[in-house]
Amino acid sequence: MKKPRLITPLATLLVGIAMLSISSIRAEMRTWTSADGKTLQAEFAGSIGSGSTAQVKLKLENGDLINYPISKLSEDDRIFVKGNLPTDPAALAAAIDQLVIDKIKESYYELRAELASLPQNEYLSNAEKLKRKQEIEREMEMCLPNERTTDQQFLRRIYLDLAGRIPTFDEAEIFLSERNPNKRANLIDQLLDSEAFAMRMYNYYSDLFRIREGVFMMGNGDLKVDPYIEYVKQSVRDDKPFDEMARELLTANGHIAQNPAAGYMLADSGMRLCNLSNTFTIFMGTEITCAQCHDHPFEEVYQMDFFKMASFMGETETRIRGRGDSMMMMSMGNNSRAEQERMGKILKAAGKLRENETTDRNLSGWMGTTNIVVHDDGSNAIQLPHDYKYDDGEPNMKVEPATYFGDIMDVAEFDSPRHAFAEWVVSPNNPRFTINTVNRFWKLAFGIGQIEPVYNIPGHLDGQAQNYELLTFLEEMMKDMDYSTKDFFRVIYNTQTYQREAETMSPSLAQMDKGSYHFPGPVLRRMSAEQLWDSLVALTTDNPEGVTRQGAQKYREWMQTDTTAFKTADEILAFKAKWGEIGRLTKYDGQYVSRDDNVGGEAMFRASEMRQPQAPGHFLRMFGQSDKQLIENQFKGGSSPQVMALLNGKITNSVLTSPDAYLIEEVANGRGSKGDKVDKIFLSVLTRYPSSNEKSAANSGMRARTDSGMSDKQKMAIEAKAIGNVIWALVNTREFMFIQ
Amino acid sequence: MKDQLKNLDQLSRRQFVARTAKTALGVSVIPLADGMQAVQAAGGGQAEHCIFFYMSGGMTHIDTFDPKPGTETGGQTKGIETGVAGIQVSEFMPGIAKRFKDVALVRSMTQKTGDHRGGSYWMHTSYAPRATIVHPTMGPWAQTILGKKHATLPDSVLIGGGGGGPGAGFFGPALAPLPIGDPEKGVQNSRPAQGVDDDLFDKRIDLMNTFDESFQRKFKTDEVAAYSQFYDETLNLMQSEDLDTFDLSKEPDVEKKLQSYGNGRIGKGSLLAKRLVSSGIRFVEVRGGGWDMHNNLWQAIPQRAGELDKALSALIDDLKAEGLFEKTLIVLGTEFGRTPKINANAGRDHFPRCFSTMFAGGGIQGGQVYGKSDKLGMSVEENPVTAGMFNATIAHALGMDLNKVVYAPSGRPFLVAGHTRDPQTDEIVTEYKPIMPFFS
Repeated sequence: MKKPRLITPLATLLVGIAMLSISSIRAEMRTWTSADGKTLQAEFAGSIGSGSTAQVKLKLENGDLINYPISKLSEDDRIFVKGNLPTDPAALAAAIDQLVIDKIKESYYELRAELASLPQNEYLSNAEKLKRKQEIEREMEMCLPNERTTDQQFLRRIYLDLAGRIPTFDEAEIFLSERNPNKRANLIDQLLDSEAFAMRMYNYYSDLFRIREGVFMMGNGDLKVDPYIEYVKQSVRDDKPFDEMARELLTANGHIAQNPAAGYMLADSGMRLCNLSNTFTIFMGTEITCAQCHDHPFEEVYQMDFFKMASFMGETETRIRGRGDSMMMMSMGNNSRAEQERMGKILKAAGKLRENETTDRNLSGWMGTTNIVVHDDGSNAIQLPHDYKYDDGEPNMKVEPATYFGDIMDVAEFDSPRHAFAEWVVSPNNPRFTINTVNRFWKLAFGIGQIEPVYNIPGHLDGQAQNYELLTFLEEMMKDMDYSTKDFFRVIYNTQTYQREAETMSPSLAQMDKGSYHFPGPVLRRMSAEQLWDSLVALTTDNPEGVTRQGAQKYREWMQTDTTAFKTADEILAFKAKWGEIGRLTKYDGQYVSRDDNVGGEAMFRASEMRQPQAPGHFLRMFGQSDKQLIENQFKGGSSPQVMALLNGKITNSVLTSPDAYLIEEVANGRGSKGDKVDKIFLSVLTRYPSSNEKSAANSGMRARTDSGMSDKQKMAIEAKAIGNVIWALVNTREFMFIQ
Repeated sequence: MKDQLKNLDQLSRRQFVARTAKTALGVSVIPLADGMQAVQAAGGGQAEHCIFFYMSGGMTHIDTFDPKPGTETGGQTKGIETGVAGIQVSEFMPGIAKRFKDVALVRSMTQKTGDHRGGSYWMHTSYAPRATIVHPTMGPWAQTILGKKHATLPDSVLIGGGGGGPGAGFFGPALAPLPIGDPEKGVQNSRPAQGVDDDLFDKRIDLMNTFDESFQRKFKTDEVAAYSQFYDETLNLMQSEDLDTFDLSKEPDVEKKLQSYGNGRIGKGSLLAKRLVSSGIRFVEVRGGGWDMHNNLWQAIPQRAGELDKALSALIDDLKAEGLFEKTLIVLGTEFGRTPKINANAGRDHFPRCFSTMFAGGGIQGGQVYGKSDKLGMSVEENPVTAGMFNATIAHALGMDLNKVVYAPSGRPFLVAGHTRDPQTDEIVTEYKPIMPFFS
């Protein structure tokens, strides 16, 4: 814990720096050649910066260190530098820690100097000086790196960040009893390869990409989204490079069942301009929505730029128009309408339709979703708005695709303008794509981005980012890793910076504004709705990832069914029933989940597997699950309905305390003493053991009044209820809800 | 142009970032009612409360407020006299007919979309749905422009409908209407769980505080403090009489009142809305469903319209008896009307081109109809009214400044009844105006 007053923070800092020196760089004397042929004898001593301004550090024979622009080296030397930069996670993590410490130190000196000169400041009144003095002192306190997390703190946080939930009792016991000095790094590796990581990242991406059942903004149609969900999870499992994933999402053609990445474009079906704005926000951290109606008020983005960019998407349609030619449903030949009517007649004859109906309304609607297909139709629909008022164009004028920063794209070289656009987005020369990616991922780990808000990265980064050197280092690192998400997170989570205790104070708005929070540790975060829910799931079962959604394959099968083979109403109705099965959850043994699998009457399965998003009244929505209508629309603020749900609701009063709940089964059936029960409950819920004070309070809270006349079953129910008091109290703590 | 915008916005990049940073951190700022006043211009501003009946599914206009008896589109629905010469309503609305001197109808509503969600969004927000922003509904708008009305009770409440819809939009969850799914059950989870008596509840709270002590001592962040405050406030609320406000069973003579309001969802919702309004809550939306009558309309309409007619009539009478009628605006809206042409299934389909809405109380001059549909109810013949005008009328009655510019966290400007640019001054002004004859 941080000391309340500043005592020799510099000494602590310097010790920290000494421990973090990089030792992995090969140091031997060699001949360096510049691009224009000059040579020099020196040792390689690392590099600083990135991109075109990066410099190599060279140690001369006399011991002097010089910096030399990498761009001015010969090609051989440039390859040497690249090949000799640290690549293993530990060394990269150490380099990040160094950059963090450098910045903290620099910030500390600046603040100290400002504090010293404050009395002489002529521009501030005494009251303002006092206020500024307090701010400086507060910020200086945040210049003291936090202590390293205990194993218990680390365990809980890394599970929440990588698995999306707290560790189960067994997982906690295993890690805490392990003696291996590399156990943290090993756990990071293990979690990155777990199914829980795919679920966790799916929750993140589904908020970013707005993945929802029915897909459409307006909720018309009932297009199944299962293949798209599975695509995102599989991309995480396979560690698909993030630029590759972005390219696939932006260029996907076809039906969601055949080409699941098409789900991305479908989220904004019929709204090309909104889709463009959203793509800028998601993949480039750039807000250009305002330029849809007028020139951007703060940045150099003109309305014309917006429409030139939109023109890249101008050929993209999300429907196959007309009736007879809808594709996909292979069996239907060329006429799904006729097929629907044919089946309608069979159903009618069997008395399976309502009096006035000629086709099965639902079945026809579902077959109609085969029309929903992303494709480029070759004619560009983008024109300037009817009220365009700038002098660089006329209202309703056609606009040709053109970029306003980054690469200039020749549309003719690509399959479609949209393909050209996708290449432009993910190009290494796009100044925003990689920055946006690392900034968003940094925020996921640390709670605040290097640049805030993450969806609005300013045109000029230096001075706006919390730590410009670090941000550009991360950018280069991501490029060097070929956009491997897992490798990136492996490094981030192995840093000392991440493994320090969470900051005990909130960064002030002024700090956010100035970019002067320098990460003495991650900020304290409330669990996301999904982290909270999935943690509750981890308290009710020993296998939280045991129930999954398997709809993608079933949907594909449904789509490929040869319906023309159906001759009876029963066959048609069986086919109809299969639609409902697509979304059903499946247990690890392949069986469908039933009501019997509920715990305490509630379906306790991971959020990523359940309805996307949940219904408005569900616990997940109450705690801020995104409605998936807007990018990153989740919230972490509190409310009275939340508190009432935790105090009086089902979850804390009957689900976690149900005899079927793992927590109760484990504790009630455990053979240990009563004291062990308290330890186990604490370890399960808070991932730590109780203090002696807490233990005695818990024991008094768990006192159950049983008597010898009761059956074993009665006794167990009463004991479960008594234990329930402790569980109730623990889940209601802020310690449970926040991630230290 | 660009400079103009900058001046208008009054926002530097710095302020802009600070504003967005707040939302990034999940820190919500609730505006206070200091210095904000209702505008009482041109007959508006008399309403202190609003009860908004929203008929979801698309309420048939021809079979409720705009009957066309004896025509090819009128169907089986007859008209009945209202006491105002030349104005009839459908036979299924006898209570409204009787109280017509207090009721004003709009028969020239028109809408751009025939899908339920899009139409409902438009009616609730005055804006077309977009994939880049969610616009707020009228309750949160009123709280933002007029300030919070009651110290401890929420400003807006949504009865029925499962809490869906745009809610507080970009104003954030702190201003979201409190959802009450079932009017009979009141606020969800507001009483201790079954088997938890006061002693046990207190014991559990003590345990919670013991377990949380070390964490709370260590972490002094705004977010932790906010949660602890929510715990304190909620524990207070659970013991306060405020909670009784949401408890329909605490209404005096509730059984007798429900006989006149009707014992169905809409009747109970209407009575609860009355109870909330008389306790000081500003904006209550009551959702009614079952209007998507594609099949067998005349089997469904007597009950559906009958329940609505009873609920509205009893509400008008009750508010009058309590002296609240002039202070309470009653509005009825829906996403669209239904096709005048009767379909093969004896039903009517979606019809956004022409439909009806209703206003009463809160300073509205009753006994009149604004706008006119053609003989068959197929199109608007005079004075078309859009969703924006509909909401401008609500806002005007409540005394909201229609030209008040409010910024979303992303820095984009919005107005309560839609926005446009004044061609003379280039300023952002309201796009739609209220139906002024209602305020004469």
